[in-house]
Amino acid sequence: MYGAPGGGPTVHDPMTLPADDNVNNYTFCVELKGSQWFLQKGKMVAYYGSIEFNGIGHGRLDRLVRTSFHSPLHASDWVVAEGSGKMLLADRAFDVNSYDLDDGNLTIRSGNLLAFQPTLALKQSIVPGFLTLIGTGKFVAASNGPVVFMEPPIRVDPQALVGWADCPSPCHHYDHGYMTGVMGGLRALTGLGGASGEEHQFEFVGAGTVLLQSSETLMAEQAAGAVPQQAGVPGGGGGFTGPSQQAGTPRLPGQLGDLQRRFGL
Amino acid sequence: MFRLQGSKVLAVDMTGDAVKAKNGSMVAYDGQMAFKKMSGGGEGLRGMVTRRLTGEQMTVMEVKGQGTCWFADRASEINLVSLQGEKLYVESSNLLATDGGLRTGTTFTGLRGATQGNGLFTTTVEGHGQAAITSDGPAVVLRVSQQYPLIVDPGAYVAHQGNLRQSFQSGVTFRTLMGEGGGEAFQIRFEGDGLVYVQPSERNTIAGDV
Repeated sequence: MYGAPGGGPTVHDPMTLPADDNVNNYTFCVELKGSQWFLQKGKMVAYYGSIEFNGIGHGRLDRLVRTSFHSPLHASDWVVAEGSGKMLLADRAFDVNSYDLDDGNLTIRSGNLLAFQPTLALKQSIVPGFLTLIGTGKFVAASNGPVVFMEPPIRVDPQALVGWADCPSPCHHYDHGYMTGVMGGLRALTGLGGASGEEHQFEFVGAGTVLLQSSETLMAEQAAGAVPQQAGVPGGGGGFTGPSQQAGTPRLPGQLGDLQRRFGL
Repeated sequence: MFRLQGSKVLAVDMTGDAVKAKNGSMVAYDGQMAFKKMSGGGEGLRGMVTRRLTGEQMTVMEVKGQGTCWFADRASEINLVSLQGEKLYVESSNLLATDGGLRTGTTFTGLRGATQGNGLFTTTVEGHGQAAITSDGPAVVLRVSQQYPLIVDPGAYVAHQGNLRQSFQSGVTFRTLMGEGGGEAFQIRFEGDGLVYVQPSERNTIAGDV
């Protein structure tokens, strides 16, 4: 007799496992019937049936990669699962969820994306560290805590942002009144006098949906691949260094202004 | 009598009987309880020597008394397993508590252990009664039957029970060596009849990223 009210643990077999749905909050089951799925390396925990995992560099997959995979330097982190059977995906006991795109687009933090159907095309976003999925199909994403959906206009904490769909206006927002001047600089640097840690947000306006995780712990960033070294490409280096970056280090997305500016000099 | 209180705390109601639990995993109790550390997992001198030799070490305490005792381990999820004479194979680090009447021991696992980074040996629990195992995230219990063998990632494997044969399968090809591997180079294949407990998270394994 199991003591927990409601009986013992559920035992799953290939018949009772759901097809393309969650087994529990942390495990997702994908059904393959001779079809293919892209998945991040090492996220498969178990499978029934015969499924083959091949790196994207596999010659036979060239055509597939050409149509639905557009971040060439990111390719070594992804594999294609092919065959028939049921496969369980999970990621470090984070919440996983599937989302359906219907001729839509969704941009997601690179570390959060676990798997997607090849009917979707994966592209690097112009925003560094994000990936964009375009088309129709299902994808699976992990998040730290359940995901909540928000309608713009909205300002969100950078650490809580998972991704956004259909709204093309992600931009930074700073509470300047609070941050500038000598006192603002002191507050930000020392925390004295009440730096709330919320002086910087991402702002979204327009029609669409913003996905937030219910935690400010980021998932480990997955390398999204370098972008071409070209003028005008964000993060691409060439022609991008302004006068404020004499040090040569590119400004990180969440970094605030330079020190002297914080002190109002 | 084992029962779960939430998913991360195990409550054991005792009436003079004993349970074996991971050392230091008691979080609360009411009634009268005595805690006694058992050297060598309570398996006697022979067990002690085996555990030392195999590196499958386990510090266990015996809890005996009247009342309710609560156990937890680093907020990991707890799964209850009831055994009717069959054998449960579990990593010693994932074993939280067993009924006093269950026998524990060690067994050779072969290559699977090596890929998991857990050593070549694993802990067995045998007899009639209940055991509690921990996992990182709630474990999914998967049935293996003759027509449905199961393949598991070594890093996500927690435990198995029943009459199962396990074999080690490797997908290492020349592409793996070129850094273009499928990401699932090492797998354990279970065949036979039984249950396998899989956690939604992967331990760092030696072959983790191949």
